[in-house]
Amino acid sequence: MFSSIFWLIPVSSIIALSFAYLFFKQMMKEDEGTDTMKKIASYVRKGAMAYLKQQYKIVVLFFLIITILFIVLAYVFNLQNPWVPFAFITGGFFSGLAGFFGMKTATYASARTANAAIKSLNRGLKIAFRSGAVMGLVVVGLGLLDISIWFIVLNQFYPISEIDGHNMIIITTTMLTFGMGASAQALFARVGGGIFTKAADVGGDLVGKVEAGIPEDDPRNPATIADNVGDNVGDVAGMGADLYESYCGSILATSALGAAAFLANPVMQFKAVIAPMVIAAMGILLSIAGIYLVRTKEDANQKTLLRSLSLGINASSLLIVGGSYLVVKFLNLDNALGIWGSIVIGLVVGIIIGKATEYYTSHSYKPTRQIANSSKTGPATVIISGLGMGMLSTAIPVIAVVVGIILSFLFAAKFDFANISMGLYGIGISAVGMLSTLGITLATDAYGPIADNAGGNAEMSGLGPEVRKRTDALDSLGNTTAATGKGFAIGSAALTALALLASYVEEIKIGLLRIGKEILEFTDGVKIKTVEATLYDFMNYYQVNLMNPKVLVGIFIGSMMAFLFCGLTMNAVGRASAKMVNEVRRQFRTIPGILEGKQEPDYAECVAISTKGAQIEMVLPSILAILVPIFIGILIGVPGVFGLLVGGLGAGFVLAVFMANSGGAWDNAKKYVEEGNLGGKGSDAHKATVIGDTVGDPFKDTSGPSLNILIKLMSMVAIVMAGLTVAFNIL
Amino acid sequence: MDRYLYFSITPEALISSMLPPEDYGNYLAVGTKKRTRGQAIFFEVDPAKIKKHFPLQYIEERCVPHSDGRPKASVYLSIYRVLEHLPIDSLKNLYLTTDDGRVLEIEKTEYTKHHEDKLHLYQEFCPVTPRIASSLNPIEFLKLITDITKPISVPKLVFVELQLDELAHEPQNGNVDNLPYPNIDHLRDCLIGLRKKPDTPTKTVIRFFQGDLLFRTCKNGFFVGDKNKYLYYPFPSLEDLQNKYYSWWRSALTLGFQ
Repeated sequence: MFSSIFWLIPVSSIIALSFAYLFFKQMMKEDEGTDTMKKIASYVRKGAMAYLKQQYKIVVLFFLIITILFIVLAYVFNLQNPWVPFAFITGGFFSGLAGFFGMKTATYASARTANAAIKSLNRGLKIAFRSGAVMGLVVVGLGLLDISIWFIVLNQFYPISEIDGHNMIIITTTMLTFGMGASAQALFARVGGGIFTKAADVGGDLVGKVEAGIPEDDPRNPATIADNVGDNVGDVAGMGADLYESYCGSILATSALGAAAFLANPVMQFKAVIAPMVIAAMGILLSIAGIYLVRTKEDANQKTLLRSLSLGINASSLLIVGGSYLVVKFLNLDNALGIWGSIVIGLVVGIIIGKATEYYTSHSYKPTRQIANSSKTGPATVIISGLGMGMLSTAIPVIAVVVGIILSFLFAAKFDFANISMGLYGIGISAVGMLSTLGITLATDAYGPIADNAGGNAEMSGLGPEVRKRTDALDSLGNTTAATGKGFAIGSAALTALALLASYVEEIKIGLLRIGKEILEFTDGVKIKTVEATLYDFMNYYQVNLMNPKVLVGIFIGSMMAFLFCGLTMNAVGRASAKMVNEVRRQFRTIPGILEGKQEPDYAECVAISTKGAQIEMVLPSILAILVPIFIGILIGVPGVFGLLVGGLGAGFVLAVFMANSGGAWDNAKKYVEEGNLGGKGSDAHKATVIGDTVGDPFKDTSGPSLNILIKLMSMVAIVMAGLTVAFNIL
Repeated sequence: MDRYLYFSITPEALISSMLPPEDYGNYLAVGTKKRTRGQAIFFEVDPAKIKKHFPLQYIEERCVPHSDGRPKASVYLSIYRVLEHLPIDSLKNLYLTTDDGRVLEIEKTEYTKHHEDKLHLYQEFCPVTPRIASSLNPIEFLKLITDITKPISVPKLVFVELQLDELAHEPQNGNVDNLPYPNIDHLRDCLIGLRKKPDTPTKTVIRFFQGDLLFRTCKNGFFVGDKNKYLYYPFPSLEDLQNKYYSWWRSALTLGFQ
């Protein structure tokens, strides 16, 4: 049954991992620089690894508890697919592994990037970018490898047949459950990493820059190393885990929707199931090609640097447009052109969200300049205008996603709204299209913290002005790509969550069959076989409509969850950064000679404080994100869970865009003033924008990005717990 | 151990110390056990040239190493009308110390007019601290303020010229984007006023300067003198600040909230 094109999937994943290894080895061959540079890099590396070790301890404990719970549900009560415990573990393991490799590479690369920048800008760019590409390629490589392995293994137990498509449904819905492992690990990585990085950043800045007048990245500031560690754990490991989950989630949800859409035609069903995987595999190869296109001239300026990165991404995107057409034609999918249209729509939506993010957060454009202008009247107006602008900035991404949903639905459904199963498959595959070139887009995201750390290393090591200019140029470029990357992550999370929502129905069907409910009996007396019931039938059976108070209750709770989650993570940053402030003050007070530069601060203690703070603070929001869907399922059943997911997705997506863009705009409004506008550095306007930037830090780097995971994790938990939900509910 | 003599202008004081200038600046900014912290601007003073004016035997008795051998960081010799009694030629190099203790040493040189700006902004430090807009160049301004035949005058003055960017030529419409001064509209009005009334050479922009000097706003350099004699300490060029004095410059650009 496996056609030759299927093998492109594991082969591409191996190729991705091979290139990641090659780039890693190439980077490691480079010289790390002077002894001081090596020492600083080793501090950051040790801090980052200490953090990961501590985080993985908690995650392992959590996974152990949940796995035991799943084993009980699956093997004692028969309420769950027996593969779930194992799929859950592998999802989490691969996600964690991707974060580990990415962060290890990033922490080795920063000093080497700084050292390469001594020779030339191009060498610095090459090392930083290719090291970022390790993260990108490890994420897509491990993601597709995990998917391939499970597909092959499950086929041994549920052989795929050309005459019966039910086994394919079982395989795809089983595979979908490994997404919960990836989601849970991603949530810990994102929330924990986000709290760590902002506790160190805000805490260090408040005492170092504001109180003591010490510049950023000054080795006299005890929180400096923790700040650099934070860039890695938040922006490398956190972002990687987030997108690993989106990447796998979108592919698996689309496969599950494809299996459901073509149940009656097993041959076409197989093609529809592997199509998203093959497109992702093609995307890997084209991403690698794009990575090789990124290079620049020695005398490159900011625009040239950006152009060289854009060249790689744009070339990969254009090639995937052509490549995905070849895939759908080769597979001879039903309505191949329409499905290809959905893929292109996903890519276009991704680009629009990226551009809109850039428009609202870059100080080259009006919105951020307006926030900067509001600093003339003090910090209060900076906060007000930043909040207002962030809210306005939600319009374009939301409209882009809305139009994208409708168009991708219609293209795949041959412009027939009644063809719901194909339409949903179209939505799913548009998310796959958006994420198909993740190998290179994630490389540009992970490049940012590497360049940032390289700048910090150059600063702390006292490298010459020419080198600092080069590392500053690389860092500045990283800030631009990071903002765009965040928009991209949010957009893909929204589409993925929507595809997961549709997949939830398939899990309900499996759950009902598992508890022996073969027939659905409707209130009007009509009876339908569960196995033959359509998505509409399930919606009618569970009365998933807006007049059902259970749905409304779920929507309210889902919306509330987004805000509750943000509130918890924001307060967590506040508390953790207060601890950091106290520690930095304590060190200044009790260790004589730090400020005079005669005594080295206790960097490790600050890293430990941030680590401990992050680990403690991440538990409650993470547990809530997991428990609430289970609780709602048990309390008010399937309609409540639907409402919860819809409310969470709607509020969470908009809130995530708002928070990321507000934070980004505040940050760049400050930079705009620092570049010599509205009074420049030291002016009252500057002070007002510094306050705005500090408020925006947890917006853009903790709460906003964590919402991406929340909306996906709640869907994943609902999917995995569908068996329990259909078996037990109180109301 | 050597003894040094420093004339601090923020606030005005004559201080003896066993710390060399850079260590002394660092001590003033971050090293004091009182945890008072902040910017410092001071000159090194040649003791041989002030013997007649100050009781130097006092510091010889008091400015001695601590019992554990540590050098004495500071012994105050005078805190009132110090500049007035200091001979101009007793002043050696000028030291600018940032909040976090980075010290920049500036040697005096001959002042040459770089350009002919129509309008100027001066920050006085000692003995009084107003911020003055003026149509006079620095030397004319110094002569005016230290002309003791006039009722509004001081015997000697330390001041720095501050940047006005386009306001120096176009007070009405000049771009003020990179000027971090508070109440910029009042500054503009003062400069316009100077243009309109050529017989009024100065206007007070701020009566009493509080807080720290933003070093990035320094233009030309620091002046100290009286009607007859002055010293000029040029502020480094931006290129030199970015290349030669990078650590100090980076620290000077860091924002602190007072």
